[in-house]
Amino acid sequence: MNRREFLMAGAAAGLVASTRFAAAATRLDLYTASDANISDFFNNVVKPAFEAANPGLELNVVIARPAAALDAVVQRAFAALSTKSDPQLDIIEQYEPMLPNGGIEAGLWTDFQKAGLANYGAVNKLAIQTAYGLPYRGSQVLLAYDSTKLPRDKAPKTFADLAAWIKANPGQFIYNRPDKGGSGGNFINRVVHEVSGRDPLKFKVDNYTQASADEVLAKAWAVLNDLAPSLYEKGAYTSGNSASLQLLAQGAVTMIPAWSDQVLQAIAKGVLPETTGLVQLTDLALCGGFSQAVVPTNAAHRDAALKFADFMLSQEMQTAVIEKLGGFPGVDWSNLPKALHDKYADVIPSSIPTFPSGEWTKAVQDGWYRNVAPNISRT
Amino acid sequence: MIAALRSGMMGGRLSGLLLVALPVALLIWLVLWPVLQAMVGTVYFPGTGFSTASYAYFFTDDYSLRNLWLTLWVTALTSVLRVTVAMPIALYLRFRTGSVAALVQALALFPMFVPSVLVAYAFIRVLGPNGIVDTVLVALHLPKLMSPYLTPAGPIIGLVWDGLPLTLLLLLSGLGRVSIASVDAARDLGAGSWTLFTRIILPRIQSSIIVTLAFNVLGLFSAFTLPFLLGPASPEMMGPYMQRTFSDNADPLNATTQAVITFAFCAAFGLIYVRAIAKGRKGPA
Amino acid sequence: MTDLAPVSPFDASPSAVGRIARRAPIDWTGIAFLVGLAAVILLPLVVTAVWAFAEVWRFPAIVPQRMGLGYWQETLSRTDVWQALWLSLRITTTVTVISAAICFPAAYAFARLDFPGRNMLFLAFLSVQAFPKFGLIIATATIFLTLNLIGTFWGVVLIQLVGTLLYMIWIPVSAFQGVDRRLEEAARDVGASPMRVFWSITLPQAAPTLFAAILITFVNTFYETDAAWLIGLPNVRTMPMVMIAFINNALEVQYGAVLFVFLWVPSFLLMLAARRVMGADAFAKGLGG
Repeated sequence: MNRREFLMAGAAAGLVASTRFAAAATRLDLYTASDANISDFFNNVVKPAFEAANPGLELNVVIARPAAALDAVVQRAFAALSTKSDPQLDIIEQYEPMLPNGGIEAGLWTDFQKAGLANYGAVNKLAIQTAYGLPYRGSQVLLAYDSTKLPRDKAPKTFADLAAWIKANPGQFIYNRPDKGGSGGNFINRVVHEVSGRDPLKFKVDNYTQASADEVLAKAWAVLNDLAPSLYEKGAYTSGNSASLQLLAQGAVTMIPAWSDQVLQAIAKGVLPETTGLVQLTDLALCGGFSQAVVPTNAAHRDAALKFADFMLSQEMQTAVIEKLGGFPGVDWSNLPKALHDKYADVIPSSIPTFPSGEWTKAVQDGWYRNVAPNISRT
Repeated sequence: MIAALRSGMMGGRLSGLLLVALPVALLIWLVLWPVLQAMVGTVYFPGTGFSTASYAYFFTDDYSLRNLWLTLWVTALTSVLRVTVAMPIALYLRFRTGSVAALVQALALFPMFVPSVLVAYAFIRVLGPNGIVDTVLVALHLPKLMSPYLTPAGPIIGLVWDGLPLTLLLLLSGLGRVSIASVDAARDLGAGSWTLFTRIILPRIQSSIIVTLAFNVLGLFSAFTLPFLLGPASPEMMGPYMQRTFSDNADPLNATTQAVITFAFCAAFGLIYVRAIAKGRKGPA
Repeated sequence: MTDLAPVSPFDASPSAVGRIARRAPIDWTGIAFLVGLAAVILLPLVVTAVWAFAEVWRFPAIVPQRMGLGYWQETLSRTDVWQALWLSLRITTTVTVISAAICFPAAYAFARLDFPGRNMLFLAFLSVQAFPKFGLIIATATIFLTLNLIGTFWGVVLIQLVGTLLYMIWIPVSAFQGVDRRLEEAARDVGASPMRVFWSITLPQAAPTLFAAILITFVNTFYETDAAWLIGLPNVRTMPMVMIAFINNALEVQYGAVLFVFLWVPSFLLMLAARRVMGADAFAKGLGG
């Protein structure tokens, strides 16, 4: 090695060191409590693409499962807001921005409407529940069943069919507790839609009143209590999405509501057999939901986090959400190539009904525990 | 001798305080002060003054009372079951040596190394619907098991399994103070096994039994994972109920109120232990 | 120690010989316990262990339809698993050592000395476990944020140390309180210094219980996650944090099963070793000198 080569090598080493230093200086801490397919998506697809497009930024995917761990970190960020310290949290891939109590009022979450994201205008208006959460991917609940016990052509297509099937086959259906996973929660929401004229637009984030809730929900509880004796173990409810899938996998029940992406993944991994059938109700689909990314206002790297949020809405990433994750895009289909839409038209409907978070969801969940779960009619 | 004792007592005051200073400081700084703040937060509201409304709500709300009642009887039943199962094993281990005893002890203490989440999974795979027990029964052409999964029996079985090691360890360490010689001596005098147990062994391990019960109550009142994963949706045990009120209902006031009530029950049991220790200190040496 | 031997009422050697001679035949009670425990404790564990090797296992097959080492490779080839294990062992050892150093003397004081506020302070330790953690998150986070301890090794050590206080004080107190005072007095009568009495009479008698407290603390701290999440993330990731991320809400139980079986062997060896310190022999050894 001659002197010139030595100097070059030294300079190169210095360069590597300095970029590494720069990267360390702007390490974005992205938290996720979602299932493994989501954290894998961020690590394997999003991270390389984002770092290539933004030299000097590093994406650190922090897995905070179960949700209680993420809750603790959010509470920590809330505490950091009052002490003006670094919450060591830059962005959460999915979190309910209505939490923690008083968070929005205290200014914990960034208002995306005012954040100046170039792609914010492209976001599907129906998916926006609040300006503090950024919907960037969606998923839908459908019914998964064991086609060896229920022939595919006999699978229920309407809610009335479903209710009749549940009653005709006692012990073969189970849904999970509404607050512990959206598959059970959205099954209950579908019942709320059923008793209120199948119009999802009746329920909005800001139109909750105690009186209207009492009236609608009382009817929903009646329907659910009527079904309860025909459920698994005469009215047992699993503790989450995965627990329901496991009962289906064990052959203990014939049908469950399930998240589309999760059930597809379970079939792909062999957890559920090939004979698992999937069906969506045609009179009104079961609800879906959009994952809302949140950015704390006190994040140490807030600007970079917003850059990342904008990046997630880019055509490249939204296409990846559809193709790599099997989810719905968070942006309006009109902002995506038409070819893509045509390709997935059969699998993914262009819009999905949703149920508003906040007061409505709280009323449904707590009301369910008080009125349906105790299973008073059980003899 | 008396003078020496006196000075020992005076020294005892100062050195006693010195010896406990560090843990007590840590406790006050990181636990007591925050707990006190949380408790005051449930009755005093800046701007509006004192109110015990959240407590009145808890004690008039059927649903909350049902949850409290469930927690109480699951705690009582589980503690009794744990002690009943652990006591014979502890007695056996205390008075036997050898490799069989070593294996028994290793096995009985093993659940300690199994995190609760895994206990729940193992439980579902074994006793759950179409689990291994069902599989074997079906293979033998026998009817399937009435699965305890998602019934009140589910968490109790799980909690007894999970808590066996702690109970056993505490009883065993208490039995360490019962000398084999004294038991042998009593036996030589013609005492039966039951007399031996009630007259010789029980009095010596009293404080261990009380501490065992105290820890059981503490652990069960805050138990979360097993009741949540294995039990029915409702009524809920206090652990999952508080957690749900706090995070899903976003209602810290009522959640903290539930926490204070839970705390009061635990403190009552703690007081029994403190009394026992205080009595032992004064009693004949 | 030799000068104390004559006053010991527990001079057990003749009767111990007698007992050994009496139960020369097979230990049937032990075998009965062994069988019972094997069914109750081992069966669920064995099922879990089989899951670690199962790739497809559906009802009503008695053995998995497809077995393999795929999950083992996938799990153990991850560097974060090994890093987390090493980190957990370091944190847990640090916490246990510090905790023993500050708590055992305190427990002795609570059991044997008289000082103002003793009962109140003793009872206060209950709040470590009896008050649910969620009520304290904000207050705790604020303290650690101002100290810049979030996401650091020592931050996690400190928060977990607090979590050990109850066990490390309440359990040893029952030990020190149960020590036979007549022995101590006898030793003092023959001129032993207080330190000497403590080291050769008090400590050996309390040792099995102290060891039980250490064991419980070590294992509990190792598997503690609530506080570790709050203070440790995003930089500190302990073994159970990795484990629970793998198994909580996961469709595949296999990852958890693999990690569990992976921790199985060292745990079982530790348990067998525990018998030497905790067992029937330990007591005799402490006094028999």
